[in-house]
Amino acid sequence: MNAPTLIPDFVNRKSFIELDARARAQSLFDEGTSKELVGPFDRIESPWLAKQGIAPQSDDGCIVIKGKIGGSPVVAIAFEGAFQGGSVGEVSGAKMTAALDLATKDSEAGKPTAAVLLLETGGVRLQEANLGLAAVAEIISSALALRQHAPVITIVAGTVGCFGGMSLVAGVSSYTIMTREARLGLNGPEVIEQESGINEFDASDRALIWAIHGGEQRVGMGLADSLVEDDADKVAAAVRACVHKGVPEKHRTEQVELYRARIAAIDTSSQIDPATLRQQWASPKGGVR
Amino acid sequence: MSDQTLTQKRTSWTTRRDEKQRRLESVKPWMRGPILAQNKMVETLEAVIQSGDRIVMEGDNQKQADFLSRSLAEVDPKKIHDLHLIISSISRPEHLTLFELGIAKKVDFSFAGPQSLRVAQLLEDGVLEIGAIHTYVELYARLLVDLIPNVVLVCAEQADQEGNLFTGPNTEDTPVIVEAAAFHDAIVIVQVNQIVDTLPRVDIPGSWVDIVVEADKPYAVEPLFTRDPRHIGDLQILTGMMVIRGIYEKHLVQSLNHGIGFDTAAIELLLPTYGESLGLRGKICRHFALNPHPTLIPAIESGWVQSVHSFGSEVGMDEYIRARPDIFFTGRDGSLRSNRILCQLAGQYAVDAFIGATLQMDGDANSSTVTTGRLAGFGGAPNMGHDPHGRRHSSPAWLDLKTNADPTLPGRKLVVQTIETFAKGGEPAFVETLDAVEVGKKAGMPIAPIMIYGQDVSHVVTEEGIAYLYKTEGVEERRRALAAVAGISPVGLKAKANDTAELRRRGIVAFPEDIGVQRLQAKRSLLAARSMEDLVAWSGGLYQPPAKFRSW
Repeated sequence: MNAPTLIPDFVNRKSFIELDARARAQSLFDEGTSKELVGPFDRIESPWLAKQGIAPQSDDGCIVIKGKIGGSPVVAIAFEGAFQGGSVGEVSGAKMTAALDLATKDSEAGKPTAAVLLLETGGVRLQEANLGLAAVAEIISSALALRQHAPVITIVAGTVGCFGGMSLVAGVSSYTIMTREARLGLNGPEVIEQESGINEFDASDRALIWAIHGGEQRVGMGLADSLVEDDADKVAAAVRACVHKGVPEKHRTEQVELYRARIAAIDTSSQIDPATLRQQWASPKGGVR
Repeated sequence: MSDQTLTQKRTSWTTRRDEKQRRLESVKPWMRGPILAQNKMVETLEAVIQSGDRIVMEGDNQKQADFLSRSLAEVDPKKIHDLHLIISSISRPEHLTLFELGIAKKVDFSFAGPQSLRVAQLLEDGVLEIGAIHTYVELYARLLVDLIPNVVLVCAEQADQEGNLFTGPNTEDTPVIVEAAAFHDAIVIVQVNQIVDTLPRVDIPGSWVDIVVEADKPYAVEPLFTRDPRHIGDLQILTGMMVIRGIYEKHLVQSLNHGIGFDTAAIELLLPTYGESLGLRGKICRHFALNPHPTLIPAIESGWVQSVHSFGSEVGMDEYIRARPDIFFTGRDGSLRSNRILCQLAGQYAVDAFIGATLQMDGDANSSTVTTGRLAGFGGAPNMGHDPHGRRHSSPAWLDLKTNADPTLPGRKLVVQTIETFAKGGEPAFVETLDAVEVGKKAGMPIAPIMIYGQDVSHVVTEEGIAYLYKTEGVEERRRALAAVAGISPVGLKAKANDTAELRRRGIVAFPEDIGVQRLQAKRSLLAARSMEDLVAWSGGLYQPPAKFRSW
């Protein structure tokens, strides 16, 4: 008969992935400092979904919460992966843009306000195609404006991942935090397979997908900044650290020459594998930060 | 044998043995001892098989002798045709190609999950003829009676130069198939992943084996019993809590078989948390007859489980099992020894309870996973999901289900079915008539393919509550009890509030609050593992999930 075994600590941790978008955003703030803006009771819904036989949601899958993190003003904007795959539509896009613009306005007025983007999204909402595309452009432009004054911090925790147009938003942010369950990439695996065939990319090969898009690889290659465990306390601590660091000296997207040189240096005569690429890009010389 | 020989005096009692020798003689040039050259496989099959032969093809819901089935599909149908195939699970496309090419004509099987649509189509087109659809044990039993094979095609991990076989963690069906052949002068052909000098252990002795061939790639095996905790929902957790309190605790269920599915995975993951909070460790769920479900790891690690016997192994569990020989059945080499037929027997005669999920149930608690257009078959669930009348030993749970004090009446095995009142897509799971009835008619089956008969079911658990069917008196009361937990499905709408209240008062129906289960407590945070990563962590890194279950 075995002696009773205690339940390991990790079982009782507060999993961040398990939380919905609202709870994820709430979990980041200093206690008692946060409040939701344009919440579900304001009933600002997508006018397009019902016409296509899809039940809209009263927050359009986008949650905006204002408050303080480590004592500094922050606005968190979270996309709910469980609603329409976290896709960005007219309303959710406008909410994110407006929140970023207000943060810029406050920052310019002498109250630097960071933004935290919680992205679980496949990108543009197909049912609102052009409006979604326009929203992505606006979000990027607003994020670029804000990041001069205060950090824009992206969290991709999983399990949806961050793909399509919203991966560009992650790209322009000051810091990106990922778990190893998270994925970040421009084209999702299914899209690549559909467009270029299964020999190019097998979307059912999960080992391959995570080797390329997974958090470990993205952070390892320097395309994201910190790899955290799926634990709400650890994610919150990572966000606090980024808020504290403030605006980085140089954003990733400002280092065009570095990345051009890196891409040019890749030997395309043979198929490069993810581990080798990670090794090459993670070298001190190749490292971004 | 022709009719003529029956009327004449029998001149030989060794026709099968002589015939086997004759056939094996013809392939001798390609053999070195029992080892056949891989590139002679198709010719060998053409030489040792004759049209009309009865062939057992090893292929269950997990491992598949796929090199042999692919090779058989390459024989010349002009030379070899109208074979009678016996196969426990029609899983691979080439199994059906054999019928399309005319190489095989008739099939006796148990399960056709992945190929169920095509089986139904080929049957309708007259390309394939079905002997019968069986349960697993039933099909193996017939190999010893009226379906004695001529040739069997099986797979193993390794063989040595003498033809001894190591079937390894996924031993499963191989011993019984080989036994039925080897001891009645049928030809035993084995594909192995590797030929080695020394085997880790001998699972099947070389004297039972005629031809060994090294396959072009390792035999196919599916991680069929793995369920990702990420996909367990609150309703399954609520159901699991009700099962633990209202059935396992109530009847003191100590030994059990858990069927495949998220409901049972939820129960396994609730034992170390919810079960522990109720002080049930050591009182319930001590012995299991089931495949090594990864979701059982937390219960094993926290000291709930004393023993597990398995039908087969599960991909990724080998190292974990090797490190827990107190719990699992392992060989001297340290790896799991599984045996489907013995585990089926254990599941019938030695456990207190079977619990499994089903897809469709009628008002009499008959259930089936056969749905329109699909001929999926039975597998092993009906073997587990019945009360074996040959049982004579008693246990607290078995006796607790005895509702009549008469000393000449037996106890009863618990047969528990879990089912959500509505399936995905808003289709009611409780129906007036099972799809199986129509499917059976169309397929010309003498009786409908019922997975588990209502009369065998002792408990039905839905998200609404538990129906203790074993306590009911008469058909009408059974129907009322089932309707009381069938929600707003067509069956459930027949429930009357007064009847239900009375059934609850008498303990024939229990809602969560009647057994101290709080609905609001049914949250994913109650699970001992909420992801595959958690299961790996519980196992101390010993469990290595296959790639399709990894998200890192």
